[in-house]
Amino acid sequence: MAGKSSATPTTYSPSLSGQKKKRPSFLTDSDWVRPDGRGPHQCRPAFLRTGAVNSASGSAYAEFGNTKVIVSVFGPRESKKAMMYSDTGRLNCNVSYTTFATPIRGQAPETKDLSSMLHKALEGAIILKSFPKTTVDVFALVLESGGSDLPVITTCASLALADAGIMLYDMVASVSVSCIGKNLLIDPVSEEESYQDGSLMITCMPSRNEVTQMTVTGEWSTPKIHEAMQLCLDACSKLGKIMRSCLKEAASGPQD
Amino acid sequence: MVGLSLGEQNFIKGGIAQDLRTDGRKRLAYRPIFVETGVIPQASGSARVKLGATDVIASVKAELGKPNPSHPDKGKVSIYVDCSPTAEPTFEGRGGEELSTELSSALQRCLLGGKSGAGAGIDLSSLSIVEGKVCWDLYIDGLVVSSDGNVLDALGAAIKAALSNTVIPKVQVAANASSDEQPEVDVSDEEFLQFDTSAVPVIITLTKIGKHYIVDATTEEESQMSSAVSVSINRQGRICGLTKRGGAGLDPSIILDMISVAKHVSEQLINKLDSEIAAAEACEEETEMDS
Repeated sequence: MAGKSSATPTTYSPSLSGQKKKRPSFLTDSDWVRPDGRGPHQCRPAFLRTGAVNSASGSAYAEFGNTKVIVSVFGPRESKKAMMYSDTGRLNCNVSYTTFATPIRGQAPETKDLSSMLHKALEGAIILKSFPKTTVDVFALVLESGGSDLPVITTCASLALADAGIMLYDMVASVSVSCIGKNLLIDPVSEEESYQDGSLMITCMPSRNEVTQMTVTGEWSTPKIHEAMQLCLDACSKLGKIMRSCLKEAASGPQD
Repeated sequence: MVGLSLGEQNFIKGGIAQDLRTDGRKRLAYRPIFVETGVIPQASGSARVKLGATDVIASVKAELGKPNPSHPDKGKVSIYVDCSPTAEPTFEGRGGEELSTELSSALQRCLLGGKSGAGAGIDLSSLSIVEGKVCWDLYIDGLVVSSDGNVLDALGAAIKAALSNTVIPKVQVAANASSDEQPEVDVSDEEFLQFDTSAVPVIITLTKIGKHYIVDATTEEESQMSSAVSVSINRQGRICGLTKRGGAGLDPSIILDMISVAKHVSEQLINKLDSEIAAAEACEEETEMDS
């Protein structure tokens, strides 16, 4: 980019593509620094609140660093007429991005894929038998995309479901790990995600010690998978505690 | 949806518990694999894979394109799967669409590696022609012709076979092109390059029914599953991708056990698939000679 800087740019555009051209040198060193100064196994501080949307049956807002997500849950309400009778409830998930969520306007990732991933992550935790013939709608909106979007959406959606009083086997917590070179970075930010060689995401129910969803990309050896899974599971159980305390706080606090 | 009576359901589950499935296979045995290459003349490479009654076709088309600005030295690969309602009435409308996106994203995850391109089955830098200007775009399309379970593994095998069948024309770049202009390229009609597909992983889906897991489940068996884990493993025994299907939760130790079982099965499958692909290529050459 340095060579081109002499020419006056006619329009402004974020120079993200320029930065991405080469991996920064810190990645090859064993002694490296994360963009936000965290340790490799340190998660971003989590901010969780329930009751973000008044008209919804339940809702939650989550903020992990720059990733900001709002999830509303509607229902259980009557399934659409066209749907067949079902003695278990239905879950409908939809993830969308605001146009200003990404550095370049309207460059949101494939939301259809995210919606089905969210559905698969949550369906195992919901006691669908408890609301036959009806549908629960989960709508997630990413206000700002700052990395690890899907884990944050999943965590926030589970909190919103609990807030709506939907019967759950357990809370669902989700954490991802990025593998860059030899390093495992927990809870990666967008910048780290764009350089990653591989990623591993785990969605689990911490108190039941059950994994509801897991995806791996990139090349991994078995010991590395062990290590990454353990990291994620530990972080999930910690996140689960934060989620619990958030719900308790909302229940005990005065309604104002 | 498969309509099974309670008796049939118990028969399937009981058989799996005793390591004898309804079609006489053991838990970790595949149905016979049948590979045919070069089935679509218009494509750069194609293959048809039959796995029992499951029948899929994969085609690879190479087109000249412009590389992504964030990866100027790499070509592009996109994978798309079509589940036609001719295979099964449930594929009509949204059902098929959902399955198509699920399969496409699972295949992308399993075959294309991480965002930086590490661990990819296809070497993207081999698709580059002029850095930042011209590259090959590979369009990999899968079609489910008939579905009797284990569609993902069959598609993975078909794509591997189609890639080894793929020939890409040699490209001559005009030397005098200045650095700013789009260089002129000359696509050769006679000289072709082949792909190195030894790094393309195979996908193994382990379906958990009761306490046991089975490979290559039929539709009937899939209807009884609590969850399934698809692992893609390359020749070196390294894991290149993993996805989980089915709602029920799994204990983390079970997932690790499934990975090691998949690794064991993958060695046999890779060898079997390689010999089938080689046989199919030889057979195709023979027919070309005859005609």
